[in-house]
Amino acid sequence: MKSTNPTAVANRSYIAEMAVCMVAYVAVLVPAIWLLNRGLEGPLRVAVAIAPVVPIVFVFVAVLRYFGRTDEFERRMLLESLGIAGVITALLAATYGFLENAGLPHLSAWYTWAAFMGSWLIGRIIVARFYR
Amino acid sequence: MTNRIRVLRAEHDWSQAEVADKLGIARQTVVALEAGKYAPSLPLAFKISKLFGKPVEEIFDAESST
Repeated sequence: MKSTNPTAVANRSYIAEMAVCMVAYVAVLVPAIWLLNRGLEGPLRVAVAIAPVVPIVFVFVAVLRYFGRTDEFERRMLLESLGIAGVITALLAATYGFLENAGLPHLSAWYTWAAFMGSWLIGRIIVARFYR
Repeated sequence: MTNRIRVLRAEHDWSQAEVADKLGIARQTVVALEAGKYAPSLPLAFKISKLFGKPVEEIFDAESST
């Protein structure tokens, strides 16, 4: 029998919502890339290029919904891990920005995204160890 | 902050998962509470007090530090 504990329900809903977001992301990304490679021009090109952001917004909506449904301790750990991720990302972005002044190649903004997601995971691990 | 949750739970012969379900929180939260790693909010402290039928000050000791 499935647990009716609110935190277990929150976990299940979060996983289901994230799965829907991932499917939606691929469903938008693949045709968007295909259209861009076909040489779409004008404002429509911009709209199609940023279309995959919409399912990503829903990823954060899912995180927010999870935040509202889970218990206060998990909420605290989630916030602390996001704080750690923000600090690490800001430091990495600033450090590399200065290194660019020293002649290192200019990097895509995607690296900031990857740094944030990676440091969020690191933040989760640090916070989990702290409260163990 | 220390507390007597582990002792009270043992007196009632409840598992951590049972206490978690009764309070509507995760088992990891009960673990952190019992270890004194996490101080609960006032609403949760009162829920814990009601669950064990003891006043908050008999369960939590704010004097000792963690």
